[in-house]
Amino acid sequence: MSHRTLGKEETRGNGAGKDAGTPRSGDGLSGGHPLPPPPPAHRYIGKSVLRTDGWEKVTGAAKFVDDIEFGPSLLHAYVVESPYAHAEIVRVDTAEAEKVPGVVKVVTGRDFTQKFGLYMKDRYIFARDRVRFVGEQVAAVIACDPKTAMRAAKLVKVEYKELPPVLDPVKALDKKSVLLHPELGEYPHVPWFFPKAGTNVAHWRKTRKGDVEKGFKEADLILEDTYTVPRYAHCAIEVHGAVGLYDAAGRLTVWTASQSPFTQRHGFAQALAPLGISHKDVRVVTPYIGGGFGGKAGVSMEIIGAALATTVQGHPVKVMWSRAQEFYNTYQRQGVVAKLKLGVRKDGTITALEHTLYWDAGAYVEYGANVVNAVGLSATGPYRVDNVKIDSVCVYTNLPPGGPYRGFGYSEFGFGLESHINRMAAELKIDPVDFRRRNAIKGGDTLCYGAHMNPCGLDEAIEKAAKEIGWGKKTKPKDPRKARGKGVVCFWKAPAMPPNASSSAFLKFNEDGSLNVLISGMDMGQGLLTICAQIAAEILSVPPAKIRVETPDTDRNPYEWQTVGSHVTWGCGNAVKKAAIDAREQIFDLVQRTLNLERDTLYLEDEKVKCRTQPDFGLAFKDFVIAGIEAEDHTFKGGPVMGRGMFMPEFTSAISDPETSQGGHPNVHYTTGAAGVEIEIDRETGKVKVLKAVLAVDLGKAINPDLCRSQVTGGLLQGLATVLYEDMRFSEKGKLLNANFSDYKIPTALDVPDEIVPILIEVAQPDGPFGARGVGEHTMIPAASMIANAVEDALGIRIKSMPITAEKIALALKKAG
Amino acid sequence: MKKHTISLKVNGVARTLEVEPSDLLNEVLRDKVGTKSVKVGCDRGDCGTCTVLLNGRAVRSCLVLAAEADGSDILTLEGISKEGGAALQKALHKRNSFQCGFCAPGMILSAHELLRKNPHPTDADIREAIAGNLCRCTGYTPIVEGIADAAKGGK
Amino acid sequence: MPIAQEFELYRPKTLDEAGEVLKAHKSKARVLAGGTDLLNWLKEGLVAPEALVDIKGIPELRELRLEGKTLSIGAAVTFAEILESELVRRKFPLLWEASRTVASGGVRSRATLVGNICSAIPSLDSGPALLVHEARARVQSGRERRMVPLASWFLGPRQTALAEGEFVTGIELDVPDHKNAGAYLKLGRYAGEDLAQVGLGVLTDAAKAWRVAFCAVGPVPARAPKIEALLAGKALTDALLRKAQSLVAEEIRPITDIRSSKEYRLHMAEVMLERGLRTAASRLAGRGPEYGVSVL
Repeated sequence: MSHRTLGKEETRGNGAGKDAGTPRSGDGLSGGHPLPPPPPAHRYIGKSVLRTDGWEKVTGAAKFVDDIEFGPSLLHAYVVESPYAHAEIVRVDTAEAEKVPGVVKVVTGRDFTQKFGLYMKDRYIFARDRVRFVGEQVAAVIACDPKTAMRAAKLVKVEYKELPPVLDPVKALDKKSVLLHPELGEYPHVPWFFPKAGTNVAHWRKTRKGDVEKGFKEADLILEDTYTVPRYAHCAIEVHGAVGLYDAAGRLTVWTASQSPFTQRHGFAQALAPLGISHKDVRVVTPYIGGGFGGKAGVSMEIIGAALATTVQGHPVKVMWSRAQEFYNTYQRQGVVAKLKLGVRKDGTITALEHTLYWDAGAYVEYGANVVNAVGLSATGPYRVDNVKIDSVCVYTNLPPGGPYRGFGYSEFGFGLESHINRMAAELKIDPVDFRRRNAIKGGDTLCYGAHMNPCGLDEAIEKAAKEIGWGKKTKPKDPRKARGKGVVCFWKAPAMPPNASSSAFLKFNEDGSLNVLISGMDMGQGLLTICAQIAAEILSVPPAKIRVETPDTDRNPYEWQTVGSHVTWGCGNAVKKAAIDAREQIFDLVQRTLNLERDTLYLEDEKVKCRTQPDFGLAFKDFVIAGIEAEDHTFKGGPVMGRGMFMPEFTSAISDPETSQGGHPNVHYTTGAAGVEIEIDRETGKVKVLKAVLAVDLGKAINPDLCRSQVTGGLLQGLATVLYEDMRFSEKGKLLNANFSDYKIPTALDVPDEIVPILIEVAQPDGPFGARGVGEHTMIPAASMIANAVEDALGIRIKSMPITAEKIALALKKAG
Repeated sequence: MKKHTISLKVNGVARTLEVEPSDLLNEVLRDKVGTKSVKVGCDRGDCGTCTVLLNGRAVRSCLVLAAEADGSDILTLEGISKEGGAALQKALHKRNSFQCGFCAPGMILSAHELLRKNPHPTDADIREAIAGNLCRCTGYTPIVEGIADAAKGGK
Repeated sequence: MPIAQEFELYRPKTLDEAGEVLKAHKSKARVLAGGTDLLNWLKEGLVAPEALVDIKGIPELRELRLEGKTLSIGAAVTFAEILESELVRRKFPLLWEASRTVASGGVRSRATLVGNICSAIPSLDSGPALLVHEARARVQSGRERRMVPLASWFLGPRQTALAEGEFVTGIELDVPDHKNAGAYLKLGRYAGEDLAQVGLGVLTDAAKAWRVAFCAVGPVPARAPKIEALLAGKALTDALLRKAQSLVAEEIRPITDIRSSKEYRLHMAEVMLERGLRTAASRLAGRGPEYGVSVL
């Protein structure tokens, strides 16, 4: 079945397509009434209401994990780390550390035997037999205060036998390469991963469509080249942290800075199953988090907090990462070497694409392999290509674990692809924007794995972005030492999720008619709490200011898989919408049965139930949503109104032919867009100044336009930073050299473009709440390639490796003479 | 090691505290005074989330020993919030200036210091004043606009 | 991240008291002024002193004053105070301009100029300005005092001429005899807070004397005598600038590190020399750009 049909059915089945106050006529559940007039304009959807968490954040009331008080029984843990990128652990001697006054316990790999991992269980809580990256946790000291833990950690003696480190993903493929995971063949993994036992290949996603040989024969121009992208760090300003408490009765509570409370609960329960802990005994509480960007998804260091707690029953134990640890022992964005071959006809039509990507996935790929997988399914970019061959290869290396980072691989392959397109357009003397127009994907097109493209406004995005950046018009710098250039590129991205990733929501009315909405989607700054309030507000006619939506607690809040992939506005938003509709239906039921009003005449407005046929009727929520409605005999009917909503995309499937990826429906939808930039470069210093950046994105429906625009300004700057400034540097022995904000710097308030213009395009997503689809990650994706193209436009030099720093430009210019 | 008894005035309240020589001001403010708006982001003075006003000057409290601050007057975000929210906070709230909000306390204190010294800052002055406060979410523009609004009297 | 090390903290009220404590602990004591470098080194375990001596309570070390034609900057004077000083801005605009590029406001409110020269990292922004002004460090040991010219102060990365038990009480600079102008150019990866990839200080005067010093392109900040000799007494011409640029490679010893490659440092030192010389000349002629405006 096609995506769109299912989207419609899904909507029809539960009323999710309805707006507040519209009668239910026409949805197949009631009859007799004429079709209603067109729905009224939205009251709260599409409005830039203030963030519901805004005041908490400007007053300092917002609490983050490190801010929670645990009292004097709190213990502190400090981790003993591997100094080697690759070594066998011969012996761990904890005796000296244990003697230090104030030390409660020293924990090592001996204490925990289970492996963990999101998509592939390939790592231990503490390294047991072998360390595979510099900084990997080998042991931990738990003490009464952080300083004692740190001092004692220095006394833990670990004897290693060094192994040769594998640092290059391409060399790691060599048959003679040292193996990182000789037991790879035994690791449990999701059925859509294809690890190659006896090699360093953890996963190989192959996608085949049409006939690439034929496609290349049809081409008038073929260009083949390699693009490289280094590793990057998320740099959320809050570091990772976790506090675990395994209480005397055997219940485990873990407070974490996380995007993924339920995924963590599941991970902790599985890894600690030998202790007899079941899911119901595990509770994960996630207060506000200070930025995520993918880095706080899944389970990384938090498992240390959970595991350590079980060794000091009755005491909460805290593990906070330092900024350095944040850099080298969470997830890093993976590096990639991308070999791209594109065939194009004279008129600019792409005839074939061959994309081979070797990912430097790091020591453990339990999450990162899914980045590789996602790219393997989408590395055509948002273009219609009939003949496709993609190989996306996940390679173990002795560098920190790779993992999710805003953009999930799409920025990385986009750098090469969008650069390549400009180069081919130039050779064919076609305007690069025309080239993109010609090949841009459209709703209904067949994707490279056989499913169909969702409705999308890519054409509109290209037009608007090109117009806003003044495409085709050259402007002149005032300073003769400077040169100007422009670049326009396209982007797309789908959420990468298991096919059964789901969302749910509860909604509770309070005595005064205000609402609490319980979700487990995480607000990491993007504004989910606010937009969920807006969605409930729209359905129930309660102003967002009267709705409290809080961060998750797995005991109290219903299930959400994770807040990743820019999918929670869509998934969690749908669940909230359904919960609100569920509450509304309960209200209608109650009013119908107690006041004898015809159900189909009822609607909600201004926090009241109203009736179309009785204009004078208006029953305020506060008068009945808890207390019920008093009947003539003075009995009360009803009771607390509580809505419940679930959402799962029931049309997706990850299972397909391993050799071609044909046959499944792995992605729910793509968000598409186009972006442009104008830069000015100092030819002597190589410094790039971004004069203007524009990003047009089809987000289906902007539930809160201001928050959507914030995603554009923030995401674009994060993307620009990856191309203009940042990259991770490693020593020849695999040690990260810039694990701090002095040398892995992120842009300051003085390093931003002169102007950023967000353009929001709304081609509705049929199964999205009010037509919305995700926008968070997409804003970062086009940045690198558009800078690369603008640099070429300005200077005539093509840089094929990221980042494109002032240094790289100046030296390239010097070399070119 | 000899402990030090120090006197601090934090947000207008005088306190006497016993600290170790190696205790950092941010640790003492967070753990002994309870002003949790003082964040820890980088451990080495790069990120600005631990910014407090020490005798009226914005400093990195992670780079100050608590014992060094003996006799000082300290203002944290809690102190600014006390009076029902300064105009600056209101202006930032109205602009949806922050996303995750982790940088907010330090950012607001840097801006507070700026506006006290220079009530009519230019865009460049504002950017310079907060250049030591890192934010990864917003691209800074909504924060700069919020501070500018506050300077214009919230208009 | 806490400081896990243990040490005693002394907070002397007089110079002599400080001198005594430092002498008693010899190499095991460290002076604590702004602490913006030292506390990081303590956290990272790069130093392990048994005593810290906080000198901020010594009144004369907080002084910034002009005596005759000598500017004296006490060891506890912060960059923020230097930037707020009308005296510095008027008489030593080059030092003011260089101070403005140090870290960010929140660091400058603690970091001291003396601390900067004592940390003696190769990229210290104050180095070129102090060198071209031929500044002197005032050094005390116990109750004895001596002066060390900055030219012989820097011995290597994080190494200075300071002997065991000695500490710096201040820096002295003389107001130049002639009408003068300067420029400090800092190449960083960012416009915001960053460490210098290359730093250049230039000072010229109405007598056409030229002083040039670099930082971050050698183990220590240093003057460029060959360039200075070439320029001495001359007005800038394009040909002269080319010639000066051709001498840069002989004057600096850049290395490749995390912040820049050797090649880029060399290239930029040449670019910056031209811009720095032109800027200083233009300022001398009263044409600007204003101090504090980057020409990079």
